[in-house]
Amino acid sequence: MLLQAEDIGMYFGGFRAVDGASLTINQGEIIGLIGPNGAGKSTFFNCLVGDLKPSKGRVLFDGHDVTNASPEEHAKLGIGRTFQLPATFEELTILENVMVGAFLRHPRVKDARESAQRVLDLTGLTALADQKAKSLGTPGRKRLEIARVLATEPKLMLLDEALAGLTPSEVQLAIELVRQIHQSGITLVIVEHIMEVILSLTDRVLVFNQGKVIASGAPTDVVNDPAVIEAYLGRSLNKKREQNT
Amino acid sequence: MMRRSGWIALALVLVLFPLSFDNPYYEQLGSLVLLAAISASAWNLIGGYAGQVSVGNAVFFGAGAYMPLLFYKLWEVSPLYGFPAGIAVSVAIAIVIGIPTFRLSGHYFSMATIAVAELIRIVVSNWDFVGASIGLTGPAVARDWTDLVFRSSIPYYYMFLTVLTVLLVMTYCIERSRFGYYLRALRSGERAARSLGVPVSRCKLYIFILSAVFTSLAGSLYAIKFGFADPASGFGILVSVNMVIVAALGGAGRLLGPLLGAVILIPLQSETNTLFGGGGTGFTYILYGGIIMLIARFEPGGLLELWERIRDRRASRRAVALKEALAASLPNSQAGR
Amino acid sequence: MVLMQVIVAGLLIGAVYALFSSGLTLVWGMMNVINFAHGEFVMLGMYVSFWAFTLLHFGVASFSLAAAVMLFILGVLVYICLIKRVMRGPMLAQILSTFGLVLVLRYSAFWAFGSTFVSLPEDILGPSLNVGGILLSAPKLVAGCVALAITIGMHLLLTRTMLGSQILAVAENRNAAMLMGIRPDRMQAIAWGLSGASAGIAGALIATFFPISATVGESLGLIAFVVVTFGGFGSVPGAMLAGLIIGLIESLSAFYFGPIYQDVFVYALFVLVLWIRPRGLMGKA
Repeated sequence: MLLQAEDIGMYFGGFRAVDGASLTINQGEIIGLIGPNGAGKSTFFNCLVGDLKPSKGRVLFDGHDVTNASPEEHAKLGIGRTFQLPATFEELTILENVMVGAFLRHPRVKDARESAQRVLDLTGLTALADQKAKSLGTPGRKRLEIARVLATEPKLMLLDEALAGLTPSEVQLAIELVRQIHQSGITLVIVEHIMEVILSLTDRVLVFNQGKVIASGAPTDVVNDPAVIEAYLGRSLNKKREQNT
Repeated sequence: MMRRSGWIALALVLVLFPLSFDNPYYEQLGSLVLLAAISASAWNLIGGYAGQVSVGNAVFFGAGAYMPLLFYKLWEVSPLYGFPAGIAVSVAIAIVIGIPTFRLSGHYFSMATIAVAELIRIVVSNWDFVGASIGLTGPAVARDWTDLVFRSSIPYYYMFLTVLTVLLVMTYCIERSRFGYYLRALRSGERAARSLGVPVSRCKLYIFILSAVFTSLAGSLYAIKFGFADPASGFGILVSVNMVIVAALGGAGRLLGPLLGAVILIPLQSETNTLFGGGGTGFTYILYGGIIMLIARFEPGGLLELWERIRDRRASRRAVALKEALAASLPNSQAGR
Repeated sequence: MVLMQVIVAGLLIGAVYALFSSGLTLVWGMMNVINFAHGEFVMLGMYVSFWAFTLLHFGVASFSLAAAVMLFILGVLVYICLIKRVMRGPMLAQILSTFGLVLVLRYSAFWAFGSTFVSLPEDILGPSLNVGGILLSAPKLVAGCVALAITIGMHLLLTRTMLGSQILAVAENRNAAMLMGIRPDRMQAIAWGLSGASAGIAGALIATFFPISATVGESLGLIAFVVVTFGGFGSVPGAMLAGLIIGLIESLSAFYFGPIYQDVFVYALFVLVLWIRPRGLMGKA
């Protein structure tokens, strides 16, 4: 068991963004988090990565209690995350961006640079190494973010809509990259809206709605779960769908 | 960055400058430029590289200026003994400001720097022990060389040059180290930096302490050159403004930005002071405010960034022109492919 | 009894602090921009009042309105010409921009109006009143009450009117507001205008009992920072409460330790708040 989130709750005043969500992840899995907008999956995600301190519940990683740990501590322990809106270091070059990640495990500049160059090779960014990050388009930035996190040599990577806004061919390339990362031994949690990605990549899926986990299991089972469909489409449309089939 | 020949030329100019003229005015001006470059380069560490805008660095300058004079007043020792005391006080103040504010967004830090600088200025202005609004003076006549009272500006010039060189070398080394990368990362995006394990608050604090140390040194050097310090010249907001604008004009976050800014602004300042009546009418500060707003609005990276952009644009235009010339020189069947 | 007087006087001036600080916190909460020149806005409000009174013989109500209108316009102009452009840029540019504005406004006033201070006549609102044994200066009493009323009015404007909810919507989530057909740019300009207006009226009110000079904005601006930090990022009710408390603390420390150190207490409180509870009284997370 690599990560365990127990009964996580996140309350903003009276508003329950997350209300009693739990998750257990084993080494080597790829977990998907899906749900309509505002369902609480991003909030839950942020509780897992240390951006938010949950109002209740615990998060345990690799034997450590990281419930209230800072993002820096998460990174040190081996949890890496990307951002929904890419947060690359615009003024730094692509190589430098990745080096910042590499420095976590390689304090010396020379070692960090070599490690970063290896990651750039892995992610196909070597040709752009000396360009400034701000010269990239969105797909490039998303790939750079992934590269940057990879350089921190995480055990667990959480990707926040890393494939959103990509063209179908870019999505295929990104799926390939994610598979490669997984094959290198890294456990993954993916927040996504694109069903194709979820179905092709994940072992297990958790569905959020209104702060709670309403379904969990294999992707194909979850996608056909009436509760899940209702959450996305609403009750009347779900009834219509049932009437039509 | 410059080529080696550029660095050598710069070093030569700086070292030989005061010896090239036999004019005490230029010698004085040179030492003032260097002094401004030291404070601005020290500000550059926290404001430029780390992107945490302090508008109250005068508090360190003032502490550094007062301590040597205070030591002289109390114990009649050489002002040199006050240098470490100024540094110690400055480090303490930096810690008091930095620890609570560096975990918060940058605005809190900026506001805190103004508030603390003002607080200390008011206290010092009303505290007879440190001379209240009149301030403190140092030894008028040198008892021995350690009093650091010289008639000519030249010894001061070389003292300032030494300190500036140490500061710039240190800055250069930081730039190329892991610490330097971390600073640029946190300036670019704190949240992302944290998620990569960058100890953001600690980095900000360390660079702030370093900035405080060198600003304090600048203040101490000021005190021994002018032999005097008072609340306005030590802790006033205009002192802080000067540091910011000198660095920002030349290029915040760049090694030589502050020096460039000092070379431009300090001579300009002495000219406008004679033109507009020594800041008495306030026109100099209207001008400064306007310059700061223009820099903020159009070129936050200062003159060095502007220069870089022009140079890059010219280089890419040359590359395009070269390509076109090459294409045009090919036989017709291959052109336009 | 003297203590009662000190307390009441402190609350009255605190209400004025609350007024101009609520404008500052509105803009901060909405756009994450701190207007370092906010104190100068108050100072300009004071000068507008003085000149409206001296040259045009405006009464207190009229010159307060004039100050509000002119500073509303200035606020909008500053937003359009300066803030809009630097908002999306590096922090250095954002902070430098309003900081440069401080110098321009403060020293333009210094250059135009000189270094000596001017005042409105002391009896502009009538003589001091004796209310149950407490001696209150009429201007301070009027200033405090009017300030309180306007601040509450501003809070109601934000929370109960269509315009207010649109402004708050942009503050909450710019993109979502856009999707709902609200124009964030326009709302932000209005917010800056309101911020200026609140500073302008506060300046007019202060001018009735406090001498006017170009540098008065320095300490008023700092007080505004302390109030918004203490009250909490983006919270107008927080600024109201914090303003009253700060006014009280200032008055009490002036009473016990002399007027010279009153600012020192306020700034020291600021540092304390940063150490202990930077969220302030009612700040959002």
